[in-house]
Amino acid sequence: MSNPELKLQIKRLLVENLMLQTTPEEIADDISMFGPGGLGLDSVDALQLVVALDKNYGLKISDAEAARGILQNVNTIAAAIEQNLSDKSGTR
Amino acid sequence: MNPRVILITGANGGLGQAIARSFLQESPDNQIWLGIHARLDNAGKLAGEYPDHCRPIELDVTRPDSWKAAVAEILARHKRLDVLVNNAGNHQDALLAAMSLNSWQNILALNLDGVFHGCQAVLPTMIGQRHGRIINIASLSALLAPAGQANYAAAKAGVLALTQSLAKEVARIGITVNAICPGYVDTAALAMNEMERKQALEKIPMRRFGQPCEVAAAVRFLACGDASYITGSTLKIDGGIF
Repeated sequence: MSNPELKLQIKRLLVENLMLQTTPEEIADDISMFGPGGLGLDSVDALQLVVALDKNYGLKISDAEAARGILQNVNTIAAAIEQNLSDKSGTR
Repeated sequence: MNPRVILITGANGGLGQAIARSFLQESPDNQIWLGIHARLDNAGKLAGEYPDHCRPIELDVTRPDSWKAAVAEILARHKRLDVLVNNAGNHQDALLAAMSLNSWQNILALNLDGVFHGCQAVLPTMIGQRHGRIINIASLSALLAPAGQANYAAAKAGVLALTQSLAKEVARIGITVNAICPGYVDTAALAMNEMERKQALEKIPMRRFGQPCEVAAAVRFLACGDASYITGSTLKIDGGIF
C-alpha cells in the first residue's frame, strides 16, 4: 500500500469513527491530533482511535507512552502501521 | 428485535437466573452466556433447557485473565458482545470494629473490582462496535449504608460512582452504563430467619419482598433500544424504601 493511500485511509477512519466535522481531504498529514491548534481530539477520542487502529490494522498500542508517540498526527500513525506490518512480515 | 449476545455474571444465583430467563423471553434467539465460578448447578440446568441459546462460562470476576478468556471465547463464537450485566456479588456482614481485613478486601474485590475488570474486558469490543449496554447490579445498601455492611455498602457505592464516571466517558460512543439498586429481593441470598423477615417487611412500604423477575425486567429494559437515552442512572427497585 502506498503511503499517501494509507494516510487517506487513516483520515477517513478519523472522520468516520470520531464523527469529525471535517472531510478527510481537509486533514493535513502533520496536523496535531490533540489540543486547540490541532484536530482537538480528547482522551475519549484517543480511546476510540486505539480500538479502531487495532481493529482495522492490527496495530496494538499497549500503553500511554506508546500512544503519545503514535497518535501525534497522521504521519506518525501511518509510520506505526507500516512498521507494524513490516515487523509482522519479517521484512525491514 | 435483533438477537443479542449477552453476558451475565453471577448467573448461578436467583437474580442471575431471572435475568437470563428474562432475556430469553425477550427473544428466543438471544445468545446468553452465564458467567459462573465454582458452582454450576442452576446455570447448568438453565443451559440444559436452552442448549442452543444459553451457555455457562467459567468466569472468576476478580481476575482480569479470567475475564479476558471469557470474552475471547464469546467473541470467537459471535464476533460481538452487546450486553454485560455485572451481577456477581456477595456480602459478609460484620460491624466494622470486628471486621477482618480479609473480609473487607474480599468483598471489595468481588463487588467492586469485579465490575471494574468486567467493564475493562468488554469495552474494546463495545467501542469497536460503537454500541453496548452495561448494567451494574448495585444494592440499596449503597444508598442506605446499613450498620454491619461497611464493606458491602462501600463496594456498592463504588459501583454507582464507577457507573456514572464510565457513563460519561463512553456516552458519545453509543455505550450506555447504568446501575440498579435492588432492595430486599426474595432469593436465597436474602438468607433471613422468620423474625428478620418480619422486621424487614416493616421497612418496606409495599409490605412485600421484591421478586427476582421484577429486577430482571428493569435490567432488560435498560438493555433495550427504548432505553437508549438513559445512561449514568441509578434505578432503585425496592418497594418504596427511602
